[in-house]
Amino acid sequence: MTDVLRVQDLRVHYHTPSGPVRAVEGVTFSLKKGERLGLVGESGSGKSTTVLALLRMLKDPAKIEGGQVLLDDVDLLTLSDAEMRAARFARIALIPQGAMNSLNPVMRIKNQLGDTIKYHNGNLGRSEMTAKIQKLLESVGLDKGVADMYPHELSGGMKQRVCIAMGISLQPAVILADEPTSALDVVVQRQVMETLGKAQEEIGASLILVGHDMGLMAQFVHKIGVMYAGKLVEVGPVNDIFEEPLHPYTQLLIASLPSLEGKGVFKGIPGITPSLLNPPPGCAFHPRCPKVMDQCKVKAPVFQEVRPGRWVSCHLY
Amino acid sequence: MTALLEARNVSKTFGAGLFNKKHTVALQSASLTLSDERPSITAIAGESGSGKTTLARILLGITQPTSGDILYKGQALSKLDRATWKTFRREVQAVFQDPFEVYNPFYNVDHVLTTPISKFYPNAGHAETRQIMEDALRSVGLRPEETLGRYPHQLSGGQRQRIMVARALLLKPRIIVADEPVSMVDASLRATILESLLNVHKQFNISLIYITHDLTTAYQLSENIMMMYQGAVVETGDVDLVIKQSQHPYTQLLVDSIPLPNPKLQWGQRDFTQRTQSNGAGPNLGCRFADRCPHVMSICREKLPPLYQTDERRSVACYLYKDAPVAEVAVAA
Ligand SMILES: Nc1ncnc2c1ncn2[C@@H]1O[C@H](COP(=O)(O)OP(=O)(O)OP(=O)(O)O)[C@@H](O)[C@H]1O
Ligand SMILES: Nc1ncnc2c1ncn2[C@@H]1O[C@H](COP(=O)(O)OP(=O)(O)OP(=O)(O)O)[C@@H](O)[C@H]1O
Ligand code: SF4
Ligand SMILES: [Mg+2]
Ligand SMILES: [Mg+2]
Repeated sequence: MTDVLRVQDLRVHYHTPSGPVRAVEGVTFSLKKGERLGLVGESGSGKSTTVLALLRMLKDPAKIEGGQVLLDDVDLLTLSDAEMRAARFARIALIPQGAMNSLNPVMRIKNQLGDTIKYHNGNLGRSEMTAKIQKLLESVGLDKGVADMYPHELSGGMKQRVCIAMGISLQPAVILADEPTSALDVVVQRQVMETLGKAQEEIGASLILVGHDMGLMAQFVHKIGVMYAGKLVEVGPVNDIFEEPLHPYTQLLIASLPSLEGKGVFKGIPGITPSLLNPPPGCAFHPRCPKVMDQCKVKAPVFQEVRPGRWVSCHLY
Repeated sequence: MTALLEARNVSKTFGAGLFNKKHTVALQSASLTLSDERPSITAIAGESGSGKTTLARILLGITQPTSGDILYKGQALSKLDRATWKTFRREVQAVFQDPFEVYNPFYNVDHVLTTPISKFYPNAGHAETRQIMEDALRSVGLRPEETLGRYPHQLSGGQRQRIMVARALLLKPRIIVADEPVSMVDASLRATILESLLNVHKQFNISLIYITHDLTTAYQLSENIMMMYQGAVVETGDVDLVIKQSQHPYTQLLVDSIPLPNPKLQWGQRDFTQRTQSNGAGPNLGCRFADRCPHVMSICREKLPPLYQTDERRSVACYLYKDAPVAEVAVAA
């Protein structure tokens, strides 16, 4: 199957007074039609920055320093601002981090959904619009009465569903969801994720899910990308990543996961997240890596396919 | 035998004031006992808005309960004399989510740590203060030379959180109440912070109250658990029983919905109603879970179920177990 999205050597820096923060430093991956990719990694490893860069929604002092974002072979980074605006939501849509707080508190849900639809489809007739909004709400498991409500009248899970409805309203080819359920409890989280999954499958979109929750990833995605200090260090099918992680960081990450098996055992990763202002030389993980070798301290490993479908950036392979 | 800290049927209703007719029953008759002899770890779990923080704040003496009592060494908090109140404030410490958020970003770590020292040890000299700080930092696995003098933005989330554990430790407390201490951090940091908490429990015999909506870490860390739903305790007792052999339909639903970090163990197949949680202020009659419960019976809508003692070490507030005796006191540590 062909790739819908190909990201090549993407680089984003935040230009701060103390120098450039290398938040995304050469990220490469691809996504097939209908595929779900999970983007994981420590806090501050560049996940949200990557996702915002794909949409060209980064704000100062961030700057895309290089790379390509090919959506059906069109490089989004070369589009004019107007062309990019037209592509957002229609071709590639975002459900942002903390999405439920992004709803406008003084606007009824139907008007918020309507604005997105109107922007791209021009003015639909009134009854046509009402029908479209009702159908959207139903597709995310909400009562059509929600259309007339304000955000504060909805629970967190309901607001999150409204944001999903907004994200899928124009049937984009790619949906980006940045921690869409991190504020919700597990029951509601499961409902919201099942809603998102169903909606995504119905419109045949591909999806990138950003998050910390490896349990959620295991349940939801097909493929996992692990970021560390602005780089992808491993990409592979979800089963392989959980069964046999290859990169030492991924290995420690998987080992640190809590389970309902062992009690009283906690395995954190020793050491501290590297500075992105002055990243360590060589492999950025080398100061914390239990398998560090001499060359790791001086030479950056190359991100390569070490086995079919398994990409790793580590001198061990 | 008096308990170190005891909550006796505490309830809290918010906003039923003169101008605000809409009120929220945030907590309904919760009880909890922490032994004076044996330090313990108790988890308080439940969905957002279930009343966990309200209970924590009542235990800490920050919020007044609408009814019920908090007893510290057998004495009601509301009746403590000044000296005992001060001892209580020292012996029962809190760790919140990312507390540096509420601190001034221009204050460094030293400031955060010296403030409580000067309050509770007014006679400590410079060297002694430094010693207390360094000991506390080391006990949570931080190197003082790499931590002191730094500002919040120069520390990772996990380091900041451990500093707050260290801050609680400075005062040699008997109890630490940790409200969602790891909810916003990634898996590996979470493990690091919980490990520090477990270590201080073991090393200094401190009892922990761990508040979370993450059942997996609650299971790993604690011996006892209190499951809350819309302000009511629905199941409480031995954590192995509550998590591994859940009896309350809500606990069963929660445990079944935990996304396990194993792609081969898919989300449970248990049926559940699509309805999301109602926004607090539900009817006060009957079981609060009745609207979502697959086993609901007519009695469930009439009267709030009491806690039934279904095991020696567990009780459940659900009419499915009404043949068991009504629990005398909610299960204690
Ligand atoms: N406006 C900014 N100015 C300077 N640095 C920034 C800015 N925004 C983000 N950064 C830095 O860029 C890096 C990547 O941040 P990003 O938000 O992409 O991380 P993340 O992986 O999404 O983390 P989280 O899991 O906490 O959401 C971090 O080190 C962060 O401190
Ligand atoms: N100061 C307050 N005034 C009015 N209502 C309040 C107040 N504090 C809490 N509540 C309400 O009491 C209920 C319980 O809130 P609480 O903060 O104890 O929940 P929680 O279990 O800690 O939730 P979370 O997991 O989201 O932190 C909620 O419905 C909340 O809106
Ligand atoms: S009391 Fe009734 S409604 Fe409540 S959980 Fe038990 S069976 Fe369900
Ligand atoms: Mg992020
Ligand atoms: Mg809370």
